[in-house]
Amino acid sequence: MNVYIKNMLRFCVIVLLQVLILNKITLRWWNEPSGFPIFIPYVYPLFLLLLPFEMTVPALLISGFALGLTVDMFMNTAGMHAFAAVLMAYLRTNVLSALLPRNLSEYAGLHPNIKTMGWMPFLVYSVFLIIIHHFVFFSVELWNLSNIGFLLLKVLASTLTSMLFIIVYILLFTRQATSSRI
Amino acid sequence: MRNFILFIRRFFNLILFLGLEIICIILIQHTNTMQGNDIVSSANTVAGIVYKKQSDVVYYFGLRRMNDSLLSENTMLRKKIDAITSIDTLIDSAVHRQIDVNDTSVHIVKYADYVYRTAKVINNSTNASNNYITLNRGAQDGVAKNMAVISGAGIVGRVEHVSAHYSSVLSILSSKQKVSAKLKDGTTGYIVWDEKKPDILIMTDVPQQAKIRRGDSVFTTSYSFFPPDLLIGRVLKIATIRKNNLQLLYLQSSTNFRKLQYVYVVENKMSQERKTLEDSSSAKK
Repeated sequence: MNVYIKNMLRFCVIVLLQVLILNKITLRWWNEPSGFPIFIPYVYPLFLLLLPFEMTVPALLISGFALGLTVDMFMNTAGMHAFAAVLMAYLRTNVLSALLPRNLSEYAGLHPNIKTMGWMPFLVYSVFLIIIHHFVFFSVELWNLSNIGFLLLKVLASTLTSMLFIIVYILLFTRQATSSRI
Repeated sequence: MRNFILFIRRFFNLILFLGLEIICIILIQHTNTMQGNDIVSSANTVAGIVYKKQSDVVYYFGLRRMNDSLLSENTMLRKKIDAITSIDTLIDSAVHRQIDVNDTSVHIVKYADYVYRTAKVINNSTNASNNYITLNRGAQDGVAKNMAVISGAGIVGRVEHVSAHYSSVLSILSSKQKVSAKLKDGTTGYIVWDEKKPDILIMTDVPQQAKIRRGDSVFTTSYSFFPPDLLIGRVLKIATIRKNNLQLLYLQSSTNFRKLQYVYVVENKMSQERKTLEDSSSAKK
């Protein structure tokens, strides 16, 4: 399949998954230990994680902005998701080139995945970017640092659940047939 | 000039990045000042249609609960009718109650300030710091900005963005708006939300001398945009702040925000007049 069409489809699927299903389930980890934050898993950054390796930074930034703005439109948080997503898109290239042994332009036609990167590098790459995304988003949303413990707790819990969903997505949508690593 | 172009080409990524972030900050600021940017809100058509499709599907799963809530609302309304018909309307001078004016010997002005429109909730959130609800009624159905939104059980929020067929409502589960409230004996205070649990509201600025017990009801006042005397919730916990001798009441909200389905959009026909009057008098100060 053409890489553009594939990514467009993935954009629609991930945004709809986020907006129609994940936004509706409110997670409470356990009942109520002194106001443990309520949160929802944000899985839509996965779209940015899975874009092809050789994508240039401007293209990444634009797609991050479009993604963030679409989610913002559905959630009435004008600009907040876009802010976090653009930052994440900007840092993506640096994180990837730090983690991978070869230059990014050598991985033509591939996209970050457990098959192309292996489990550990992929997890490090996604956890790092997701933490940055969640931290920025929740700080912008709460907009005061007076109860920083609450913020950190929210970021931590939210990151763990988002990662859980992301791993499930990866396991579901990866073909297991070939195990050709690079 | 050449150097300038080279500079731009060298730092193009950084410049684009900063530019996009600045656009985001501008968008965030616009919503926070409540001027309303209707493009990036769920009142717009694309988001409205998607949410409507979803609500069409999910609708059937809530029918039983909705029947129950309608029944309890009916009982409440019946009780209210009983109360009104048994009250001597001339002695009880609550002006917002509808009064039968067949008796021409006394001059009574008849008030019916509020128009109620039903609307279906097609999207709902309870877990952000500012929670929004999308309704399937818009400007074409007579919904306008700043109208109050209530449910059968209690208060819900205020209309913030309106498009032709949809509107999005800022619920009282929000750090952006305060609602004035009163206890049964007339002590007033403010309702705020601490961004934690969607069932717990907080009433602040209650003086120490007010005698409050657990289970007391809290109602809306006529100061706010809500119609007066609507139930907000019941007192769950009472805390005293030592610093300024004020009490803080934790309320169990009477509206179940997690399971909203139908709401009423309340138009106050007098609000424009009242606002002009209040603005003109505050401008003179």
